[in-house]
Amino acid sequence: MEYSLYDFRGASLNIQIAIVFIIIAVSFTIIAYLSILRGRYKAYRREKKLAGLHPVIDNLLMEHILLNDELASDVPADQVVLPIDVFRLPVFEHRWARQALIDRLLDYRNNVRGAMGEQLRNLYIQLELDKDSLRKMKSRKWDKKVQALVELSSMNMSIADVTILPLTNSRNRELRAAARHAYIKLSKNEPFKFFDVVTEPLLMWDQVELFKIISTTEHIAIPNFAQWITYSTNKSIVSFCLKLVVHYNQISAVPAVLKLLDTKDHYLRADAINCLGKLKMESAEDKLLQMYDSQPLNCRLEILKAIGRINSGKHVDFLRQEFLHATDFDVRKNAAKSIIRNQWAAKGIVEELVETATAENKLILKHSMNPLIKF
Amino acid sequence: MGNIWETIGRYYESAVFIYGTLLLITYALLAVFSMVAVRAYVRKDKFHQENTLLSSPLAPGITVLAPAFNEGLTIIFNVRSLLTLNYPKYEIIIINDGSTDNSLEQMINEFELVPVDFAYNAKIQTKPVRKIFKSTNPAYAKLMVIDKVNGKSKADATNAGINAASYPHFVCTDVDCILDKNTLLELIKPVMQEEKKRVIATGATLRIANSCEFDEGVMTRMRPPRQLLPRFQEVEYIRAFVLGKMGWTLLNCVPNVSGGLGLFDKEIAIRSGGYDHSSFGEDMELMTRMCRYAQDNKIDYAIRYIPKTLCWTEAPASVKIFNRQRTRWARGLAQLMYAHFGMFMNPRYGKMGLIIFPYNFFFELLAPVIEITGIIYYIVMTCLGLIDWTTASVLLLFVYTYSVMITTMAIVWDQLAFRYYKTWKEVAYLCLTPFMEFFLYHPLIVVFAIRGYYNFLTGRKSTWGNMQRRGFQTTQKAAATVTAK
Repeated sequence: MEYSLYDFRGASLNIQIAIVFIIIAVSFTIIAYLSILRGRYKAYRREKKLAGLHPVIDNLLMEHILLNDELASDVPADQVVLPIDVFRLPVFEHRWARQALIDRLLDYRNNVRGAMGEQLRNLYIQLELDKDSLRKMKSRKWDKKVQALVELSSMNMSIADVTILPLTNSRNRELRAAARHAYIKLSKNEPFKFFDVVTEPLLMWDQVELFKIISTTEHIAIPNFAQWITYSTNKSIVSFCLKLVVHYNQISAVPAVLKLLDTKDHYLRADAINCLGKLKMESAEDKLLQMYDSQPLNCRLEILKAIGRINSGKHVDFLRQEFLHATDFDVRKNAAKSIIRNQWAAKGIVEELVETATAENKLILKHSMNPLIKF
Repeated sequence: MGNIWETIGRYYESAVFIYGTLLLITYALLAVFSMVAVRAYVRKDKFHQENTLLSSPLAPGITVLAPAFNEGLTIIFNVRSLLTLNYPKYEIIIINDGSTDNSLEQMINEFELVPVDFAYNAKIQTKPVRKIFKSTNPAYAKLMVIDKVNGKSKADATNAGINAASYPHFVCTDVDCILDKNTLLELIKPVMQEEKKRVIATGATLRIANSCEFDEGVMTRMRPPRQLLPRFQEVEYIRAFVLGKMGWTLLNCVPNVSGGLGLFDKEIAIRSGGYDHSSFGEDMELMTRMCRYAQDNKIDYAIRYIPKTLCWTEAPASVKIFNRQRTRWARGLAQLMYAHFGMFMNPRYGKMGLIIFPYNFFFELLAPVIEITGIIYYIVMTCLGLIDWTTASVLLLFVYTYSVMITTMAIVWDQLAFRYYKTWKEVAYLCLTPFMEFFLYHPLIVVFAIRGYYNFLTGRKSTWGNMQRRGFQTTQKAAATVTAK
């Protein structure tokens, strides 16, 4: 060893660096292999433990909750006494086992509706599993907080607005999203209040998740989304509200949507036109036509689609003009599609166009008429 | 005279030492960045439920493009595999690139296709489209087949598909690749979850399919390849995707989205001119042009990679085919560097010009050249008796242990995050591969790369060549059984 150390000191700098790096590389490689071994072993143990526990949980839930005839009565769920003693097994003193039980309860609750769903919630409360979730809620780690929010909102447990609302603007995207979902599901008074305070944009993914929660949560009071379309300074909230207006067919929000046609943001304007088209607002057609010439391409295409969707038959001439004289391919294609939708109002127009149009326009018309082609 | 050679030799040694050190530091940094990126991905991903998007009317539409040339052996199963993808709003466009076998006839019969009057708008110029087919069977309403004149490149076929695509994003894959059923859900997530930037492309990890098991076009059992050459490629893919691409994604500096699987922003791809049919590395070339277009037009863009394996492809199992593939890749890289050299160290192109291009130039393009000159230098010095064998052995050991460490780290990130392989034996099999890679596999890559550069410099005619696929055996057996029934 002394000899080696002597050799090392006497070696050139390049060699000294190389030897240090060799030692580091060999050590890291060994550590890496040990990490794989440890990781796989831990995962194997966890899977083995869960493989033993899951059937136990499933049997208990099936036998004592889901297939228990005594629980399928008309008595309100919170007044039913559940056989919770059978769930007090020694294994559930371990945190991992309690977590497995919570996860299983969530799985079942997501798949069961009505009284049985309520009994599962009841069980969650009576086994004091909510305390586990609340403890996670106080954790400093964002992923624990998200886990807690998912558990509490799935179990319909109330959380104070003051606890959730600040989280709806968290800098962490996942936490922010989970808090918004929980707020909509759990807030008793104004589930959409966070729309007022949201400063961060609602991402496309957030919108998909929120849309699902809003459209699937039972007993949720749907507000008039016009208030956010009119007053919100957050463009993503306005855009999302337009989609909700379409989903809930909120005709009362139409004046606000019409006002939005004057916005300077052409993406929002296109969303507003799209919304009017899907609501089939015949009264908006004239305004759409008036503004058509001053619009960028995306808004023009939306106007053409809207006229097709509204299907009033009043503006076939306009569509014909666009189809015959526009230079942009997509404009002609959308005009053709809308002509086909409105053809009931101007009999013979399609035949006339097929006979007189250029070869390319003829192809566009045939494309639009073919039921096998959707777009 | 002797002094001059001595001085040149000393400068060369110092230059190579600095180059090597920088390369190793870059790899070490990538290893750290990729660890951060993979961990962040895994932590966040567990809270994103795919089924949320699966049932949503707000899901953005995606077009799947799969060019096919003489893939009659597996075409039906591959199309069926694409039809089983989980996504609420997508279409599949198979581009039959003038196949001379019966691929098209098979598809027409199997999927009840009829020619339609499709308003094809050639926003990107391609070889003429002969016919476009749609199915009369509603079960295959998502499917469209384009029959076109052979363009002698995947790029030309893909461009035809882009022209016909209806949705704002397209996924480009090879028709012989097997995709995970959740591929579209996974690839669109980074686009939908990006806060401020416009995600112009997303990629995911590719793996080697050679020893995996498939049933009806679905991967049922993942295994590292039994043969050595494909297994080397598996290790290389893990290092390139899990360590390289994930490291770069943290810095928003992904240099390339693989041609085997990638999701692209259609508008940007069209405005950038689509795939270049004359390029031998058309995927990297398109990515470079898309970045260039985004920078020129002040689009705050991002390219994202995800560490999950979503695609399995058959790797060349013979040195001859492997040679053809790697020579083509190297030629593509040289072509790309030459065509876009204006971006090199050009601050106007941001990270692309200041990080990605210099990295690709010095550590991808020049690496084989420096290695070859190093070997020649080594031989000359040995002949002259000027080698200090102790020093040389220590340095060689240093490079060897370091390369093993970097590859092992990539395997660790992969294993800790996903645990793809079922048995310990399979993992051990894979872990032992990096020890041989340095001596058996790496020299091949260097030689083939030099050959690619030579072909580029001499303008030697080079064809795309056939991959001579063996097909996925289990799938075909299953196919035969089903057909017999």
